[in-house]
Amino acid sequence: MQIVQDLETVEEKKVGMLHATWRRFKKNKASIAGAVITLIIVGMAVFAPLIAPYNPEKLNYGKELQPPSWNFLLGTDPGGRDILSFVIWGARTSLIVAVGAILIEVAIGVLIGGVAGYYGGVVDEVLMRFTDIIMTLPTILLLLTAVSMFKVRSIVLIMLIMGVLGWPWMARIVRSEFLSLKESLFVEAARSLGIRNLRIIFRHILPNAISPIIVVATLDAPFYIMYEATLSFLGLGDPTAISWGNLVAKGKNVLTSAWWVATFPGLMIFITTIGLNLLGDGLRDAFDVRARI
Amino acid sequence: MELRNYVIKRLLICIPTFLISSVIIFSLMHIAPGDPIEIMFRGTRPTNPQIIELIREKLGLDKPIYEQYFIWISNFLRGDLGYSYVNNQPVIEQINARLWLTIELVLLSQVLSLLIGIVLGVIAAVKKNSWVDNFLSLSSLFGYSMPSFWMAILFILIFAVKLNWFPVCGSQTLGLEFDFWGALVDHLWHLTLPLLVLSLGSAAWYFRLVRSAMLDVLEMDYIKTARAKGLMERIVIYKHALRNAILPVVTSFGASLGFVLGGAVVVESIFAWPGLGEFAYKSTLARDYPSIIGINMMIVLCVLIANLITDVVIALIDPRIRY
Repeated sequence: MQIVQDLETVEEKKVGMLHATWRRFKKNKASIAGAVITLIIVGMAVFAPLIAPYNPEKLNYGKELQPPSWNFLLGTDPGGRDILSFVIWGARTSLIVAVGAILIEVAIGVLIGGVAGYYGGVVDEVLMRFTDIIMTLPTILLLLTAVSMFKVRSIVLIMLIMGVLGWPWMARIVRSEFLSLKESLFVEAARSLGIRNLRIIFRHILPNAISPIIVVATLDAPFYIMYEATLSFLGLGDPTAISWGNLVAKGKNVLTSAWWVATFPGLMIFITTIGLNLLGDGLRDAFDVRARI
Repeated sequence: MELRNYVIKRLLICIPTFLISSVIIFSLMHIAPGDPIEIMFRGTRPTNPQIIELIREKLGLDKPIYEQYFIWISNFLRGDLGYSYVNNQPVIEQINARLWLTIELVLLSQVLSLLIGIVLGVIAAVKKNSWVDNFLSLSSLFGYSMPSFWMAILFILIFAVKLNWFPVCGSQTLGLEFDFWGALVDHLWHLTLPLLVLSLGSAAWYFRLVRSAMLDVLEMDYIKTARAKGLMERIVIYKHALRNAILPVVTSFGASLGFVLGGAVVVESIFAWPGLGEFAYKSTLARDYPSIIGINMMIVLCVLIANLITDVVIALIDPRIRY
């Protein structure tokens, strides 16, 4: 009976904590704005086929480079494609790339940071030195280098490379969480019960380190979106993808005669990164992990 | 004496860092699919297998991979970065010709953005939650959320094309004769737009760091003590608080240099600034591996040197670091 009651209070405490987090998040107008922007972008990505008025890749002959009008709300590009539709579909590419890279980042970062923080000593020293090295590598340059080495440049390749280069910050944060959590009573209890180290790392410590992981992942998302757009802009992204960066590059060539081609996709990148940055900052404050990140 | 030991220790740490980075870059070159010979001849490989074998031997491709690495790294340390696939010129010469333009651009942009970031960051922190703070914080959010290539395009459209204040690209006006001062002014005139694009993003980032560090420091007891002693507010803020608040900025300066150099690649290619970044972009498009690898190594070296300098600066600012 006692145990059941204890469990109930633990449950209550958990709900209470989430509630408090939500209250803190709600209080900040900027965080709400970030969440709303992010939700809209995610909505665009998910429902792109339903919202987009035209097929984003359909060439409309005789309708090239039309300024914004009622037919084409954001105008058309040099191939007569509807920019609004392209921009809506572009959200999909951006988010897929960002989510993919973040999943890889979390996988590597949690593994390296978790092992370093949990075992400490020489393991920690070696892994963190390695992390520092990866951190000093110039990401964009290596992205260019790696992308140039492959004949077929796909979205998957790009997110893979970004994730593989992007984990050091995550690893550092996870490590510092593990360093403090491994000293806590529940870990000692788990150890004294003879539970294996890997199980302690993933089942006992990791769930308690989840909030900084979410915050870092959210704050890294805009970087990945920016990198993908930059690569596409430079003509080194996936040539078949509907990417905002691609359209900005097209617009660059007709900048003086058709300002709308480069402006609107760029604006979308801008708004998306603002939304994610605000959301990330809001989550950081709400989860109260500010001191650590 | 203590400081000297610290510097030597940091210097020694640079060696394995450099070696591991070089291994990563070297393996990138080798995990790439496709035969180097194929790439070298752009699909029109010589049909005679004997010639191919000869080239392979000459390039050392017949040796085991670790041996190739040792040959390559010792050549690098002697300043031999191989020859460009595009024009057969030594890579080191092309890097030499371009490195300084990039260093100029990056260094100036960092000085500028640090100045802007620190000054505005302190102002925003001191006037926390005022309209000045809100305005600056919002501008900073916009600054680091804006993709640099888009900012560059907008700047070209507004300041170069519409207003015609600045040139669209290059680092000097070609075909005109200048005396020294004329050339300098002309060069700075070309520098302005790329410098602004590269600096605004960094400045926004430094602003954010300085503001939040200042807010933390201003809450501390020693600041209250300083104020209670009746020190002038200006001295409390600029002498007591800023000295501590500036540490995270200096620390992140070294770490963010790789990021800034990446930004330089983008900005240089858009403005056709003939620096290392533009060279990297051109080489990437041409699949000119020796040049790409050489640039990567050069940039890693630059980042390491910059990190070393930052470490020393931190140790000078904060005596606690020298353990």
